[in-house]
Amino acid sequence: MRTTRYAFILAGGVGSRLCLLAERRAKPAVPFGGKYRIIDFTLSNCVNSGIFDIGVLTQYRPTSLNQHIGTGRPWDLDRNRGGVQILQPALGMLESDWYQGTADAIYRNLIHLRRRRTDQVLILSGDHVYKMDYNVLFAFHTAKGAGVTVAVTEVPESQVSSFGILETDANGRVIAFREKPKSSPSRLASMGVYLFDRESLIRWLVEDAEDPGSSHDFGKDLLPRLVARDAGVYAYRFGDYWQDVGTLDSYYEANLAFLSKTPPLDLADPDWIIHTQSADRAPVRFEHGGRVAESLVANGCRIAGRVERSVLFPGVTVARGATVRDSIVMHDTVVGREAVVDRAIVDKEVHVGEQAVIGSGEARTPNRACPEHLSSGLLVVGKGARLPARLKVGRNARIGAFVTESAFAGDVPAGGVVDGPESMH
Amino acid sequence: MMLVLSGGGGERLGVLTAERAVSAVPFGGKYRVIDFVLSNCCHSGGERIGVLTQHAPTSLHDHIGAGRPWDLDRRGGGVTILQPYLTRSHAGWYRGTADAIAQNWDFIEERHPQRVLILSGDHVYRMDYRALLATHLERRSSATIAVTRVPADQTRRFGMATVDREGRVTALVEKPERADTPFASMGIYLFDTEALGELIQSKPVDMVLDVLRPMLQAGGRVVAHEFQGFWEDVGTVGSLYRANLELVAPVPRLVLDDQRWPILTRDEERPPVRIGSSAILEDSLVANGCRVSGAVRRSVLSPGVSVEAGAEVVESVVMSDVRIERGAHVRHAILDKYVRVGAGAEIGSGEPPQHREHAWLEGLTLVGKDAVVPAGARLGRAVMVGVGATPGSFGDGPVDAGTVIPSRVWHEVSE
Repeated sequence: MRTTRYAFILAGGVGSRLCLLAERRAKPAVPFGGKYRIIDFTLSNCVNSGIFDIGVLTQYRPTSLNQHIGTGRPWDLDRNRGGVQILQPALGMLESDWYQGTADAIYRNLIHLRRRRTDQVLILSGDHVYKMDYNVLFAFHTAKGAGVTVAVTEVPESQVSSFGILETDANGRVIAFREKPKSSPSRLASMGVYLFDRESLIRWLVEDAEDPGSSHDFGKDLLPRLVARDAGVYAYRFGDYWQDVGTLDSYYEANLAFLSKTPPLDLADPDWIIHTQSADRAPVRFEHGGRVAESLVANGCRIAGRVERSVLFPGVTVARGATVRDSIVMHDTVVGREAVVDRAIVDKEVHVGEQAVIGSGEARTPNRACPEHLSSGLLVVGKGARLPARLKVGRNARIGAFVTESAFAGDVPAGGVVDGPESMH
Repeated sequence: MMLVLSGGGGERLGVLTAERAVSAVPFGGKYRVIDFVLSNCCHSGGERIGVLTQHAPTSLHDHIGAGRPWDLDRRGGGVTILQPYLTRSHAGWYRGTADAIAQNWDFIEERHPQRVLILSGDHVYRMDYRALLATHLERRSSATIAVTRVPADQTRRFGMATVDREGRVTALVEKPERADTPFASMGIYLFDTEALGELIQSKPVDMVLDVLRPMLQAGGRVVAHEFQGFWEDVGTVGSLYRANLELVAPVPRLVLDDQRWPILTRDEERPPVRIGSSAILEDSLVANGCRVSGAVRRSVLSPGVSVEAGAEVVESVVMSDVRIERGAHVRHAILDKYVRVGAGAEIGSGEPPQHREHAWLEGLTLVGKDAVVPAGARLGRAVMVGVGATPGSFGDGPVDAGTVIPSRVWHEVSE
């Protein structure tokens, strides 16, 4: 009898290097590609691979993610049997209630495996942009007789220190697993995609939970230990596009890559649709005198100004005489008449006043508050901010969510910071 | 209880309704015509809706499905498709609007509604039916008819209603050359179930001739409710085209993006519009999934249309997944789904034909679903290209204004 497949998606990511974008939402809920959220890629991979029984583990700021996933309708996951279930940390589960690490998060949800007839358990991350048929991974796992299979992708040498790096023998068996090494002879990075044998997974997680020296993380603790013990850890090499949009710069580059003549993923592939929760919006309205080039523009937008090399999410208005250039502008933001937005990531529902210039001048001064994440010339504007008419904002600046016109004493210099009201807890 | 008459085949829409009902014709970039009425029903608080279908209903049935997009997939109520059916004693097809209601009288009666609202699925407008109900209740009428003002030279397209000073309807005349009233009936009738039930016994065929006129003659209370917004019956090529182009007018009278009254539809998941480096987009409505590298002016593009570099689309309506290849020019045209316009082809150029038999096309060129217009072809105005026409059907020279190129049945095509 065919077993049903089950996948856990780890969606608790804090995304601290995404700065403002992930301040009020978990990283998987960050908007991407003109209409999607990052987690849409993983959820769509599941359903396109025939996996219709999914638990999504949340922890950090889950509201946005919960709303997005809802009952799972867009992915056909609103089902009588299976479907999608949000698994939040619950009080009273054990002595300490929050998830300690990724392995701990799964350990605390092992109960969800109890009544499921599944021989393998797929564990995914909701943080990455890629299209992958997990059936191939299942086939590889079975063919190798693996205890656990880790999907890996090749990364540039400069990035090995950001990932879990694996070394393999000629047969694909993993002989070393090091989390974020300074350097490594290997460039194979873990994609955060693990396929476990069910019984082994349960045994290993129970063992890890009882280990007081463990930080209860797959990459830091469990997988290195299994490799050291030679417990049948295999690496499956994935050759296609896979992107970790962990930093503001990589987020920006990954979005803008979709504007090229040969985008990294075909979002229009009818055989591998990326499903998302989309509100009913009218088609894009291009008005008289508008000019648009090399851009992605989603339904519900109204364009009367200029848009160049930019990604516009649903419902953005670009008024007459306004210019949006080299930017990412999220849902329902309004760019007022003759305003300019240049090399900026503008979150949802922002209002840019008339003739404001958001992004101009020198790009050498890094951001005062987060110099390590905001120094390449990009600037970020948080959700719901209201930027007054004729305001000038320098590069590498950070404007907090929900700031109002009165929060601005004058123009914002390069690297400047305008903080929003304390976020509600 | 709301009943939407959606059986119309729309002979005056040519190839566009060869395989679908008027109500199922794509409209406004991502909608179908019936979405307007279903959205009106939904926003007006309608909870039980019957959709009466007859002509080529597959497309409409697919679109409505269980009614999810309109939140009409309910345990009690929701949307029900009412198709013509056979019984041992009688056969079938709906012979007219009133006959369609009469044949489904059991469905209506079993649910004991106090009132029945009869609508047409072929109209594009945004209306709160609760206002109509308020008039009906205030005026204690047996039947309330929604009317709208039309220009004097348009009366022959409509059923005209004469209304007295109290707002009572005194006469109904079908498509007169001239009328002494500015009010056209919108084909929206609210009846007390009891009053309608009595008249249904007499086996009526037509709603106006066999139900409303007898009601007037018998002195029944028939009241007019004036509707002042944009309303268009899109049953003709010209009206379908103009209603689409209304959406791209500088100040459109028909608004699609009102958050309080969104037009709901069965949306496909498509990526955002992709715009190339040399594109020109002006006064146009372009749906997700389109790819534009050429020029698009005063046009409406449905999902998945691709306009390649050097191609130009002007004052046209282009339905889903049409491909307009390099250097092709399309003007004054309606292209149905999956049409391919070969590189350098020209559609809708020159002068419209003078002959009366082409008048119904109003100078517009229609290209049927799946047709392939060969590279370099020249199609004049008011040409009608059949469903699935292949490059071979176009001949060698230019295709003169007013020409009809026949349809091809897909499983018989051997090219």
